[in-house]
Amino acid sequence: MSWIPFKIGQPKKQIVSKTVERDFEREYDKLQKLEDQTKKLHKDMKKSTEADLAMSKAAVKISADLLSNPLCEQDQAFLESMAALDTAMRRMDAFNQEKVNQIQKTVIDPLKKYSGVFPSLNMAVKRREQALQDYKRLQSKVEKYEEKEKTGPIMVKLHQAREELRPVREDFEAKNKQLLDEMPKFYHSRIDYFHPSFEALIRAQLHVAVQLPAAAQKGTKAAFVVSLRLRCHESCPAAVSGTHRLACPPVQMLMN
Amino acid sequence: MAVPRRPQPSTFTLALLKPASSALPPLRAIQKVIKKDKLQEKEGASESSISEERLAQEAEEAKRKSEDEEAAAKERAAQRQLLAIEELVQSERNYLRLLQLTTFTTRSNLQQLQPPPANLDSMFLYIEEVIDVSSRLLSLLDQKQIQPGDPLFLETLCDSFLSLSSDIEAAYREYLANYSNITLVENSYKEKEALWNDIIKVIKTSVPDVNATSLTFFLVMPVQRIARYPLLLQTIQKHTDPTHPAYELLEKTAHTSVALNVHINEYKRFREVADKYKKTEPLSIKDKINRLNTHSIAKKTARLSQQIKHETGITPKLVDEEFDALEGLFNVLERGILDLLENVETYLHHLQTFLACKTEEFDFDMDGEKAPICYKEIATALRQWILPTFEKRMQTLIHKPLCALRDLLVGPRNLIRKRLHKLLDYEMIEAKSNLSYEEQDVANTYRTINTLLLNELPQFNGLALQMMWSMLGTFNCLHRDLATDMEQLFQSFAQQLPHSSLDHNAFWVWAESEVLEGARRLETLCQSVEETLNAPVVQPLSPSSQCRLKQLTDKHGSGKIYQVAGPVVGTRDLDLNLAKGELVAVISEIDTRGDKKRWLVDAGGRRGYAPSSKLMRYHQPTEGPPPSPHLTLPEGVTGFRRHSYTPETRPLTHPFFQVLAAYDFTGRGKHEVSVRAGEPIRVLEPHDKRGNPEWSLVEVRGGKKGYVPSNYLTVMPMGMAPPSSPYR
Repeated sequence: MSWIPFKIGQPKKQIVSKTVERDFEREYDKLQKLEDQTKKLHKDMKKSTEADLAMSKAAVKISADLLSNPLCEQDQAFLESMAALDTAMRRMDAFNQEKVNQIQKTVIDPLKKYSGVFPSLNMAVKRREQALQDYKRLQSKVEKYEEKEKTGPIMVKLHQAREELRPVREDFEAKNKQLLDEMPKFYHSRIDYFHPSFEALIRAQLHVAVQLPAAAQKGTKAAFVVSLRLRCHESCPAAVSGTHRLACPPVQMLMN
Repeated sequence: MAVPRRPQPSTFTLALLKPASSALPPLRAIQKVIKKDKLQEKEGASESSISEERLAQEAEEAKRKSEDEEAAAKERAAQRQLLAIEELVQSERNYLRLLQLTTFTTRSNLQQLQPPPANLDSMFLYIEEVIDVSSRLLSLLDQKQIQPGDPLFLETLCDSFLSLSSDIEAAYREYLANYSNITLVENSYKEKEALWNDIIKVIKTSVPDVNATSLTFFLVMPVQRIARYPLLLQTIQKHTDPTHPAYELLEKTAHTSVALNVHINEYKRFREVADKYKKTEPLSIKDKINRLNTHSIAKKTARLSQQIKHETGITPKLVDEEFDALEGLFNVLERGILDLLENVETYLHHLQTFLACKTEEFDFDMDGEKAPICYKEIATALRQWILPTFEKRMQTLIHKPLCALRDLLVGPRNLIRKRLHKLLDYEMIEAKSNLSYEEQDVANTYRTINTLLLNELPQFNGLALQMMWSMLGTFNCLHRDLATDMEQLFQSFAQQLPHSSLDHNAFWVWAESEVLEGARRLETLCQSVEETLNAPVVQPLSPSSQCRLKQLTDKHGSGKIYQVAGPVVGTRDLDLNLAKGELVAVISEIDTRGDKKRWLVDAGGRRGYAPSSKLMRYHQPTEGPPPSPHLTLPEGVTGFRRHSYTPETRPLTHPFFQVLAAYDFTGRGKHEVSVRAGEPIRVLEPHDKRGNPEWSLVEVRGGKKGYVPSNYLTVMPMGMAPPSSPYR
């Protein structure tokens, strides 16, 4: 119906069947979601390990600063307990550092590599899309020629168009097939790929969690000793007396 | 009422009135009694007359009388003492009653006013301690169940007073120091008339028997009371016989009460000085400038000059080692506390960052797998309750107290600074013998601050130090608790993991190898994807395009052939309009104005500019062929050579190598043969008849023989596939 100027009403011959297209879309959507989640997890992991390390470094700084404070020079007991606390903090920091290194190797780097695959996959999908467009274009050209009267020049053009179409179609189909093969495989591979990462994550933290209580215990003992000694310390008789209010008036005077 | 057991010269009894708030009526009664007594004695004396007998009798009588007088005097004294004691006890009771009434009844009634008066509680701040100590004193007295007439009573009174003296001092001194606040608050109430009227009404209803006109009527009583104790005690002492068993005790008690007052006043003075200088007012520069006047400038310059004198050694510096040691310790403490606070805040900040990035909220669609699920549960537990509890405990147990401690450091710091200023002032006038009033004031201020600091700073230092250490202990305890929690959490999951049986090192070896393996697999996947999918499609050229290609290649060389990627519409003059897919040759990659994005191209005759973004290098199925040697040789020579060739076929194909055509070549004359790229070829002669090595005689599949440019041929090891050609 060549007199109809618009082509909207005409049913388009489907080059790629709807089911195939839908499958492709579905697979691709899954991959896109996986990509987003991988990126997010990578970012969160990185930030959380950095914060974790910063925390233990801050704890070390607490004890180190106090150790360098001249207060320690005055009293031997303080010096000892401060040194014990410092050792405890440093040990905890060492464990933490080790844990972070292990996580870096077994979790954060693999996550990054996994995210690195997605750009080329996306590019491949784009190429496939381009190939599909070319295919569709040439296909419609061929159909256009096919509908015309079979005159000589038309036949030549038709033949030429068909020649042009063939490699494009083959290319598209190759790309399509490959992607339809690879995408589900890649999606499925995430399970095996990430399995060791998660185990490593748990195991690393477990290892630290087991070691920490012992380290912290030593620090507590030292601090407890200090506070006991302070109770007997002569410089604060106020601490000995019972009533809070009565003990604090002299201090209150300064404090109020 | 028991009466002292002595022979009574008179028969009348002491009219003891009921206890009243005033002591005057009993005294007056006593006075009357004494007058009557004297009168009667005088009468007795005048009656006795002149005779000697009478004289002896008189002497005897006089002696008796003097004895009697003594006795009477003693009795009067005893009575007065008794009265004085009574007064003390009764007034104490009354005082206590009124205080309690005020505190409980009046206060609660006032609180019910709508709206309740502001700062009401601050008026009743220390009154409870005063009530407490007063009731303890009275209860100690009542316990013994002795009557005031008994000499033991006095002893009990003194004992109880002495035992409670330190408590009395403590309670009253706080109250007195705070009293100025009470007057301030009441004045603020007085400003609002309606409120004030309400308050008076309440007072009148709560305490009807006393005609009070303000709250301070009641609240000033402790102030008056503590000053009254010395008076009362001294009155008792005056009327007590030095031979009384409890006399020494009484004396001591009287002294104690005086000392109490002295201490309390001194304390009040200290507090006033401390309050004056402790606070730092945030002054803007404008305020500071406004505050400058000649007096303050003179003061400050005098201090500065004194300081310079110290530093340069002109005047000797008054070194107070004790104070310097205290100040040194204070500085060190301050530094320690500030550092600790800063570090704790950093620590908390990082903890909060850690809590914010929720690594358990990912969805890899791996919900069937154990490891991710375990991890998610662990991470959720950590972030939802273990770590938040830890954070909250740190905040309340460490951070908040540290902040409060830091704020408390401001007061002593200011006082120390002020002391230095006052010291400089003091030193300047110290040498003078005759101090004027202002100078005395300065000297007093310095001494006050100095004493204050020397007394209080050691305790402050000690307490601050203790606080710091206890906080560190808490810090460690919190860590220990956290570690225990985490251990429990992880242990519960550890058994579920498949590789939990591996020990630490073995596990890491396994994990790392797995990771490497995974990386390798990813790489192969990547590569395969790249190879197969990214090979661009090469379209066969239409004849017109082929012509164009040849033309352009001839003219410009194959390295400069580009294909138009999209339709180009020229906007400026000298711009070309190009269709998609057209082949052009680039003449210059820059235009006359220096724009590198506008290239001068040759589109088969037409020349013009095209945007470089739309030009894609045209790769012929293999790399662009080098310039054909056609151009360099004259026609005739070629023709002559080609007529003679030997049919000899030389086995030039190396057994291990295969010669192929690298590029398409279209033979233009009868002696040249067309080859396609990738076609395996047999070279018959590697040169032409004239020996020109630029041409080779080859045989193609199909038996055709002819000449082909030598540089169009390539050699490849046998077994390798020729470069893939998408067609034929």
